[in-house]
Amino acid sequence: MKYDKVVTTTAWSPGPGCHGGCGVKLFVRDDKVVRVEGDENHPFSQGRACPRLLALTQYMYHPERITHPLKRVGPRGSGEFVRISWDEALDTIEARLREIKDDYGPESVLFCQGTGRDIGGPISFLAYSYGSPNWIQLGLAGHSCYTPRLGAMMATQGDYAVLDAAQFSPQRYDDPEYRVPEVIVIWAQNPAPGCPDGFFGHWIVDCMKRGSKLIVIDPRWTWFSAKAEMFLQIRPGTDGALALAMINVIISEKLYDEKFVSEWTVGLDELRERAAEYTPRRVAEITWIPEADIIAAARMYAKAKPAAIHWGVPVDKSPEGTTVAQAINHLWCLTGNLDVPGGNVIARPAYGVTTYPFSTQEMHALYGEDFVNRLNEKRIGAKEYAMVRNFRGWAQPDVAVEQMISGEPYPIKACWIQTSNVLGGQAADTRLHHEALKKMDFVVVADLFHNPTTMAVADIVLPVASLAEKESFRSWWAPLQVITPAVQVGECRSDWEINFELAKRFNPELGKRFPTLKDLFDDRLKPTGMSYDELRDAGGWMMPPENSASRPYRRHERGLLRPDGKPGFRTPSGKIEFASQSYAQWGLDPLPYFSEPPESEVRTPELLAKYPLVMVSGRRSSVFFHSEHRNIPWLRECDPDPIVEIHPSVAKANGIEDGAWVTIENDRGAIRRKAKVTPIVHPRIVSVPHGWWLPETEGREPNLFGIWDVNCNVLVPMGTQSKSGYGGGAYKTTLVRVRAAEGRGE
Amino acid sequence: MARFGIGIDIEKCTGCHSCFLACKDEFVGNDHLPTAAAQPHGGHSWIRVKEVEQGSGTKVKVDYVPVLCQHCNSLACAKVAPEGAVYRRADGIVIIDPVKAKGCKAMVDACPYGVVYWNQDADLPQKCTMCAHMLDAGEKTTRCAEVCPTGALVFGDLDDVTSPVSRMLAEKAGKLEALKPEFGTGPSVCYSGLPKVFIAGEVLFSNRGSECASGVKVVLKDATGKKIEETLTDCFGDFTFRDLETNEGYVVNVEHVGYAPLELAVRAFASQNLGELVLKAK
Ligand code: SF4
Ligand code: SF4
Repeated sequence: MKYDKVVTTTAWSPGPGCHGGCGVKLFVRDDKVVRVEGDENHPFSQGRACPRLLALTQYMYHPERITHPLKRVGPRGSGEFVRISWDEALDTIEARLREIKDDYGPESVLFCQGTGRDIGGPISFLAYSYGSPNWIQLGLAGHSCYTPRLGAMMATQGDYAVLDAAQFSPQRYDDPEYRVPEVIVIWAQNPAPGCPDGFFGHWIVDCMKRGSKLIVIDPRWTWFSAKAEMFLQIRPGTDGALALAMINVIISEKLYDEKFVSEWTVGLDELRERAAEYTPRRVAEITWIPEADIIAAARMYAKAKPAAIHWGVPVDKSPEGTTVAQAINHLWCLTGNLDVPGGNVIARPAYGVTTYPFSTQEMHALYGEDFVNRLNEKRIGAKEYAMVRNFRGWAQPDVAVEQMISGEPYPIKACWIQTSNVLGGQAADTRLHHEALKKMDFVVVADLFHNPTTMAVADIVLPVASLAEKESFRSWWAPLQVITPAVQVGECRSDWEINFELAKRFNPELGKRFPTLKDLFDDRLKPTGMSYDELRDAGGWMMPPENSASRPYRRHERGLLRPDGKPGFRTPSGKIEFASQSYAQWGLDPLPYFSEPPESEVRTPELLAKYPLVMVSGRRSSVFFHSEHRNIPWLRECDPDPIVEIHPSVAKANGIEDGAWVTIENDRGAIRRKAKVTPIVHPRIVSVPHGWWLPETEGREPNLFGIWDVNCNVLVPMGTQSKSGYGGGAYKTTLVRVRAAEGRGE
Repeated sequence: MARFGIGIDIEKCTGCHSCFLACKDEFVGNDHLPTAAAQPHGGHSWIRVKEVEQGSGTKVKVDYVPVLCQHCNSLACAKVAPEGAVYRRADGIVIIDPVKAKGCKAMVDACPYGVVYWNQDADLPQKCTMCAHMLDAGEKTTRCAEVCPTGALVFGDLDDVTSPVSRMLAEKAGKLEALKPEFGTGPSVCYSGLPKVFIAGEVLFSNRGSECASGVKVVLKDATGKKIEETLTDCFGDFTFRDLETNEGYVVNVEHVGYAPLELAVRAFASQNLGELVLKAK
């Protein structure tokens, strides 16, 4: 087959949807992408491509893709939209948002995104240029996605850390300094289908092939648990207790790295005392894991050198997620596995380049100090929650949805929604969010397809470019890489283009500093000494330079981590803090502890009598990214039905047959799913995949593509957030019951 | 002349479906005549990934089995097809001729592996071509093998000892098997580690506060009492006998000095976790 050109670029939503980083080759003929392959020269993915990437052509050229701006003409929910020009769309948005700003203040507009993809840059740029502090993952209960873990890591060791799969080295596994982890703990994740948080899931498989043994902690059997040396089938939401018991065993049996701990940490005695409350015997009762297994796992992890922990989002979704993350973080610090080859290495973006300003200093430089202070005053949840105030510029979602309804302490009038299908996706208590969003005077949705959210509330819909159509760059740990457009589809524009254009209208000063988007990219890329075009022409990606703060290993010894250049860590004490000074300053317990899930056998036994099963949502599928791809036929073929995984004993007791439709319910409502009877789930849980809507059904109200029928988040509460403000969304711990559904054909 | 084959190592397959998607990317909407007409948008799985979850309790296995045309030596599909509608090339690839096979829907049911699909619009039976058009153009691999992220699925020349498939076959020598050998069609696709049933359990001592019984001898016998295999329980008292044939009767014997022996008859329709086996002190 002949191609006009082959464009090498980086996969980062939209398309596969995910957190991205893979090198991809796009084969173009007659201005159309006709074939997709992994780029074998790319160090991140080394030629591999996932099903969602391979389905890119079907996604890009889908007959229902939105390819020009739309304006709603019928009432909300009618699905009546007409085509408008970009000028009309942007002029309308600008005028409406200016009115709202004049009448109610800029904080009355929420800028809502989904999970972290190529969006943090464009959306925060727009929100702050407009003047709103309320940049938010609307609907994400407890903001329970990575932010709790990031906060805990920052508080503990002043930096983030990830499992070392040699991802910071251009030679990868062949780097002479690198060592494969002897033991990997996969804590609450099925990494192969997921590729979470800048981490390529198959790196774990790479390590397994090179000899890593596994300990897997999960309520559900996966391909990894079935291959693990030890599988701890845990009660959902009790990960904090397990981590504390492991800490207890490691300290009391003196399995910790004494030299590392005495040189680089503070607070061991306090931690020892706290962990002593969590004996393996007591924690066995809490977690459903046999006592002997808890002890054996702690020993196996602590005795292996090096060993690494790879964790997943259920950590954040545990009650008091920021303290659970802290406890797990302590494990790699106790055992001296921090920033060593094959351990948990400190993760900084290559060259320190981020797609948007993270630090307060950078924020001041870009927007002015006064303005940044004002943001913190008005940000939703900043008053109530220490970590919202002190750690990261997110508005708090549980507080926000209440405020959308109550109008207190100030009214919320509009939502800008981008990369997020709130109602079909992350929003817990879907009905509450439906009600809240319908109260808005003005809603803009930027997306590629109609979905329950556009149908229910969008006034204007903006068509977004896929990864194959956009110019952008990606910095998430390593490498730093560019995203190069191959083609144009319809009138679609990238998230960056859309937001940059509007941001300039609200803040002409920025327009003067950055006349074009490239100027903005070049500014962010400055630390590399290269411009965007130069980086693209040099191959499109760069690993962190040797002997720099963004390249492992043992940077604490070399004084590469602290702003003052001294050895140690970027914490108040300069050491790893087992008892966190930052937590204490923020009014939180400086030490980790365990808290029962809001609904559980211990906390609410009366509810358990009525609803005896724990609903664990969120199992990953390699063919879907959260609520995306249900409308992509090739992908849907592989995972066609909204299922519920039920243990054979539960199915039998409830008269449920494999393949039959069942009702799953609690006091918040009822949904229906198709039973998959399987031994992979624990008999006391049901696994209910999230993000389901049915694009093949009616999109208009009241059906909204079937969300009231199949979206499990209808059953999940809001308002269960941790004391820190981050973590604790009950997506994995909600109590339900199941029964055979009456007469569902299909 | 090369002799092409595919090797599939089940141990490495994570069930990601990338092979299925790569095949779609290659064939949907693209004619590759004379070996393949375009695959329709939906309904065809020239390679499909079957999920097998078995066992119970603390003994569960999760496997994925990619199934594609086995490029057999004796063609079951040819028996119902007109002359020349399906043929085996000298390099071992089995091709359904996109012209001569028109209208021959009987081939769909004739294939015992169920890997021939009906294209309603083209009035044509279709299946995996082992990416013959790519090989004919000088490429060295198939789309599915190329995309497989773990090396579970490999392709190559069976006569070339350095090819990926030959290397896998050498590495797995003695452990290779055909999918459903009872069909007797002589496939060119070779598997290792196809999911079999297993029998597992956990042994406890009754008199030591139900302590896990490690190092206890467990013997597996066939229905006639002939010993097949023996093992010792691990530090958790666990044992597993793997790779057993389905639908066979087995006997499990547990013996330990000072305890009354246990004997259980098991029929392995599917994998079985016998659960806790408590040894009573004599
Ligand atoms: S060899 Fe080619 S035609 Fe056959 S399943 Fe793989 S990709 Fe499809
Ligand atoms: S691409 Fe490889 S690992 Fe993925 S399903 Fe196919 S054979 Fe298995």
